[in-house]
This record gives sequence, structure tokens and C-alpha cells, in this order.
Amino acid sequence: MPDQVHDNVRAMWSEDELDGALAALGPADECDDRVFHRAKSELLLAAGSREPLPAPGPEPTRRPARRWAWWVTSVGIVAAAVASVLVVQTVQFSDTIPDAAADQLNLAADRVDAVDGFDEPLQPGQYRYIATHAWWMATMNRNSYLAENLLETWVPADQSQEWLLRRDVTGKRKWVAGSEEQARADGFPIDEPGWPEGEWQAPCGDFFEVEAGDDPCQQKGSWQEPTEKFLAALPRDVDKLYDRLRWETRDHGNDADLEMLVYVADVLRTGLVPPDLRAALYRTLAKVDGLQITEQVANLDGRKGTAYGISAKGERHDVIVDPETGQFIGERKLAEQAVDGLPAGTITQYTSVTTAVVPGMGSKPTG
Amino acid sequence: MMTRREQLADEPLPADKDRPYLGGPEPAVEFGRLFDAYARPLHRYLARRVGAETAHDLVSETFLVALNQRHAYDPRRGAARSWLYGIATNLLRRQVRQEVRALQATARSAGHAPGQEASHETRVADRLDAEALATQLAAALAELSDGDRDVLLLTSWAGLDSTEVADALDIPVGTVRSRLHRVRKWLRANAPKVTTAYREEGGNA
Repeated sequence: MPDQVHDNVRAMWSEDELDGALAALGPADECDDRVFHRAKSELLLAAGSREPLPAPGPEPTRRPARRWAWWVTSVGIVAAAVASVLVVQTVQFSDTIPDAAADQLNLAADRVDAVDGFDEPLQPGQYRYIATHAWWMATMNRNSYLAENLLETWVPADQSQEWLLRRDVTGKRKWVAGSEEQARADGFPIDEPGWPEGEWQAPCGDFFEVEAGDDPCQQKGSWQEPTEKFLAALPRDVDKLYDRLRWETRDHGNDADLEMLVYVADVLRTGLVPPDLRAALYRTLAKVDGLQITEQVANLDGRKGTAYGISAKGERHDVIVDPETGQFIGERKLAEQAVDGLPAGTITQYTSVTTAVVPGMGSKPTG
Repeated sequence: MMTRREQLADEPLPADKDRPYLGGPEPAVEFGRLFDAYARPLHRYLARRVGAETAHDLVSETFLVALNQRHAYDPRRGAARSWLYGIATNLLRRQVRQEVRALQATARSAGHAPGQEASHETRVADRLDAEALATQLAAALAELSDGDRDVLLLTSWAGLDSTEVADALDIPVGTVRSRLHRVRKWLRANAPKVTTAYREEGGNA
């Protein structure tokens, strides 16, 4: 075994030999540009970009695959209800009554002001309970499913105190395009839950900041993740709120008017918006061009309300408001054109929000 | 003694391109930029460890995990690059069996490396070409603990400095330096020996 003798004789490599060996071991070939392009498209869509990445190079390419893009979505309490609400007819009342949508939404805003006491202020020791029933949507090439998520948040009267979040990915899924078999056969990691489950507690609702070792209550707040301070600072004057929303949505999204509604839906979805601001947001939305009543009686988790939507570039976003109380019931997003195997009219995002006052952290409303 | 968090509390938030603020409502812009800057080097690094195909999935997954955890990224604690390599390293841990098997396979092929035939000649070391050394190294790398291998390869293959490795792995920089020193010394001493063992094992198999 001469090789062995040789190896044992050479007791030690030099530093240079080690570096040489490291450099020589398995240098990889450059990856194809298209592979990176696809991965970037997936990332940007997951990050909420509504604009597909331009295709690289001169060759004609299809729309980038959305292999692992996620949205917050929600649908009826019972999974079976998904099937019945997945395709919604677009009814455009504004064809006959030009200002119907604006008028009705302004009326709903009046109801918020009138129905005094519906949004009960919290007494010390009480918590606002916010139940968000959401379906996350995962799209893998032409296979898409909605996954049921239940989020419950307990917000203390003093928001700098401890909040509680419970989050459950129930495992219920509804395939809306393609199939589980096909996705599995294509090698997509469909068994991964996608989002964390469990229970978190933190001041100011900064659950994940605390988990990461950061100080809570340091966030500036945004339309998507508002703090109490952020909400308090938003103007209640409709013209000022309109201008503020225009300014903050500038250059965002595919369509300026649609993006106004998307931001309003974002902030309402949190369940944290006080009644005076909610009324102002409805009146602001009523001023936005293109607002239509898309469904007079939309049913979300068994609660009925009027759906106000804006359509642009093949998609539509609705906010659903109880006309009697002005309560925000939920919001949804639809593909108005067929895309990535989803038929036209497919709901791609669906959230219902319920709030109540409860006597303690962790306790649920009765009835 | 102050904790890291207490030390950081007084520092202003840096907002340069290496330490971006990622908590904004429109993450697509910053993440698009991070992807352009780091996806390819990250892929090259991961591909050397687990092969191009797996590396592609890991790169995608790294950025999606980063997106989901963007609120946990503190620019004061490290550059985005270190943070991304840290996430990738955690994801890589799931593939560690695959990596070790591939290293062992490379090591077993050592007996067939052309450089071996000339090893009795004088100036033997010079004649052993880099590839032959690499096959010897592969066997030794397979013997390392996961943490040791991460420190070595983040330094050598990803090109991170000690501070960046410390940020990526969330360990003190002194630990990185001493570990690197120890690992390199062990490899220089042991790479040839473990190769012999593998060659015998491979020959008898």
C-alpha cells in the first residue's frame, strides 16, 4: 500500500495547501439566469409586489411562475363554505345609479357615528378580542390552494401592556387550481405549514420583535401594521385623509385608485381602527374614482354586508361593510381575469374580522 | 456587563444599503435589491456544499424566510449579508446528511485521482495537484462537526470575515477565530490520514 505510506509520511499540509484544496473542492458552475429570474419573481410576489418582473433576455417567456407566493386570505368559518363562495359574480350597480356606491358608503359612515356604543371603549382590565379568520393562499406553478388560519388577538386597554396572540394553521386546505397530486408530482414542498403556529405574548403586540430579542413598543406604525399612535395621528378630516392616502400610496401597486382601497382594507383588517377613523376612512373611500358596489349582500362567515370594490388590471379588491352598524366585516380580493390556472372570478384573498370586548386575556366572547 | 441589546440601545439605526430598514410596508423594493446583490454569491456557496439543484431551492427559501422574518432583522446587529448567510446556514442544516454523503463519495474516489500515481516521485507535494488534495480534504470535512464546517466554509467559500461569520451564526467573534484556527490546524494534520482510511474502506466495499 504505497499510497498509505506516502500519506502517513506527509504529516501535515501547509496553510497554502489547505487553501488550495479548499479552492479546488467542488467549485460550482454559474446558475442559469432564468433560474434566478424565477426565484426573484416568486420573492417579489411574496413581498406583495403586484407587478410581474419583466422577463429576462429577448426570448418570449410566460408569466413568471408563482411557486411559493403567499397572501393573507380568509373565507367562511366552515371550510366547505369556500367552495360556494369562490366564484363571485360582479354586479355593477353603478351602471344604473352613478353615485350609489359613494352614497351608500357615506351612509354606512353615518351609521358608525350614530350607532354609539357599538365600539365599546375598554375599561381597565378588559381586552379587545379580535378574531381574524384567514386563508393563506399558496401558488405553485399552476397549482394553488387556500389554507385556513385562525388568528385571535387580545388587546389590553393600555396597549403598552401585554397582548396575546394565538395562531392556528388548521390544516384545512382548498385547492382552487390544479391539485395536490399534481403539486406533489412537480416536487413542491406542500407539506410545510408555511406560517408559524402557537401562542405569543408581548407589549404593544410586538410579538415577533420580542421573539427576536428586540424591545417592544418601538415600532413607528404603518397602514399595514398600525400602532395606536399611528392611528391617532391619521387625520379625521376627509379631504386631509384622502390627500394623506394618495401621498402614501403614490407609485405603489398597479393602479392608483385600487391601491387607495387596498390600504384602507389593510388597516381595517387589523381590527384596531377606532370608530371615528373608520367613518373617515369610509368617507375617504367614497371619494375614490371607480368605487362600485360589487355585491349588495355579500356573506362572510355568515355575516352579511355590502361589498365595495375597485377593479383594475384584471383584479378586484372589496371591503365589506355592515350597512346597519357600519361595522367592517372583512375584505377580499378576486382575480377578474384567469391567471396561473385560476379561473376568472376566483377569490385569492379573503379575511373576516370580528371584534368583541372580553373580561380577560385569553377569554372569548360568549354567544 | 452590558448585554448586546443594551449596548445597541443607544446606537442610531444605520440606514445604509448593507444594513437596510426592512420593516416598511413595501418590502418588495428592498428585497428585490437584496436578491440582486446576494442571490448569486449565496447560490455559488450553497452549490459547493449541497449541489446546484438543492442550492437553488435553498436560495429561494432563504429569501422567503428572510421576508417572513424581516421584522426580526435589526440593522444594528449585523449587515443583511451576514443575516442571509445565517438563515441559509440554518436551512442547510437540514441537508447535512446529503452534504456529508457527497463528501464521503468524493473522498472514496480519491484512489482513482490521476495525481495519486505520481506520488512516489521526488517533490511529491508539488506533484499532488489541487484536485487530489481536494479529494483528501473532502473526507476530512465529512469528519468535522456541523458548527466547525460552517465556520470554515463560510470563511473560505462564502468569503465572510470573522465578524460576519459571528453575526451569521450568532456566536462571539472570538469563538469564530479560535474555532477557525483549531479547525484549520486539525485539517492540515489529519486530511491525509482520514483519506487513507476512506480509501481502504472504499477498496474493501
